[in-house]
Amino acid sequence: MRMNLVLELLDVPGQLVSILEPISGLGANLVTVVHRRDAKNEKGKIPVQLTLEGEQENLNRVIKRFDDLNITIVEKDGFTNKEFVSTILIGHIVDRDVRDTTDKINALDGVFVIGFDIKLDGEKKSTALINLEVDPGKKHFAFDKIAEIAGEKDLLMINEV
Amino acid sequence: MKECKIIIMGFGSVGQGIAQAISLKKAMIKERYGVELKVVAAADSSTSAINQDGLEEMLLIHSKNSEGNLSAYPEYGSSISGLDVLDAVDYDLLMEATPTNITTAEPALGLTLKAFEQGKDVVTSNKGHLAIKFGEVTKAAEENGVEFKYEASVGGAMPIINFARETLSSCGINSIVGILNGTTNYILSRMTSEGSPYDITLKESQELGIAETDPTQDVEGIDAACKTVILANSVLGIDATYDDVSVDGISNITSQAIELADKDGYLIKLIAEVSEDTLKVSPRLVKKGSAYDIGGTLNMATIKTDLAGDVTVMGLGAGSLETASAMLTDVISILKVKY
Repeated sequence: MRMNLVLELLDVPGQLVSILEPISGLGANLVTVVHRRDAKNEKGKIPVQLTLEGEQENLNRVIKRFDDLNITIVEKDGFTNKEFVSTILIGHIVDRDVRDTTDKINALDGVFVIGFDIKLDGEKKSTALINLEVDPGKKHFAFDKIAEIAGEKDLLMINEV
Repeated sequence: MKECKIIIMGFGSVGQGIAQAISLKKAMIKERYGVELKVVAAADSSTSAINQDGLEEMLLIHSKNSEGNLSAYPEYGSSISGLDVLDAVDYDLLMEATPTNITTAEPALGLTLKAFEQGKDVVTSNKGHLAIKFGEVTKAAEENGVEFKYEASVGGAMPIINFARETLSSCGINSIVGILNGTTNYILSRMTSEGSPYDITLKESQELGIAETDPTQDVEGIDAACKTVILANSVLGIDATYDDVSVDGISNITSQAIELADKDGYLIKLIAEVSEDTLKVSPRLVKKGSAYDIGGTLNMATIKTDLAGDVTVMGLGAGSLETASAMLTDVISILKVKY
């Protein structure tokens, strides 16, 4: 059985070895590896494509090991692992430094603003829809942290259920 | 023939609904359960009608609506009110439908505890005493060996408390997430369909009688928070009171927010969340076409269970006869075990 993965690695020495090492030890074979240091993504991380071969059980163990090592799996067999979520902020968004708000959200680990739509209502409060891409399992972390940022700026936050 | 003598306390919309529901269903109940329901007293805030031999349900409603109070009931109208009504007549079951008071819980609390002390069963639609003193009230019922039922306090006609506790009794309940306030759901639905601002939509809802003159309890999330407490205690066994709930209402929701949400495939709903970790009422984004996508004054709740997965219920969350239907169901469940 084959499995294609896209991982994200930090651009520091030893990262690639650290992910290749567990593979054979867990009973899976490495078929291909594509590692392009010059193709950093917008987060400054390096995407690595892997094709592995082995029993399903062994491939699952590899995935679990990557999770344990906190390695982000961006794609598995062509399906993205990212979550796309939205939130709405209501308040004096522009006056309370909208640039700073988005910068603070982007600074959160595994959370990225991919869309920002704001509506102004004269002198009254404005409303913004923020689309986010979050790493797997980071949704609640993202909402909690954004709630803190919104709280500091006295903005009402409306989250997904 | 066995008999169940009933006192109806509170004769507003719900109290009148009870009288009407009894009038409509007493023959069915007599035939099916072999018990005759007899309303021996009904009381509003300052007057009552009392007759040990039974009162005419529809005449109670007529007297209240034509004269404004129950003392107008022919021959048996009286100035006895409040706790004194419970001493004025022999009864078996109190149907308590006085207005919810979230500060003192009165008069519901006093009436309920007194009925328990007298060894009487109680069915209520009131949220105040349950939200503030759930543990105390249910313990008092147990100590006095009486039945205490409150299905109508959450979701009106939508089955939830008895449903979760009895129909889903094989399951552990992990959480309940739902829309528990019909008025705010109506306002948000109208803001979505009409693109109208909050203030104007609220005013329209008040003119239609959907929102109350003082809409605070609904629009600030207080009503939904009371229901959150009741579900937490009764279904999830969490020892919580009103102060444990984080509450945000809908009065800050802009029409721009509704529009932006709509553009992205979402609706904004006032959502109550009940779990071991979270007791919260707040406006939330829900996917269009999801179970949360309900319009008008409807209520819904998704019960997340360990064995049955997610189970969703939906129904009319308010209304005179609708709320009374839940109370009458509670009465029947008492008749089944005690009569």
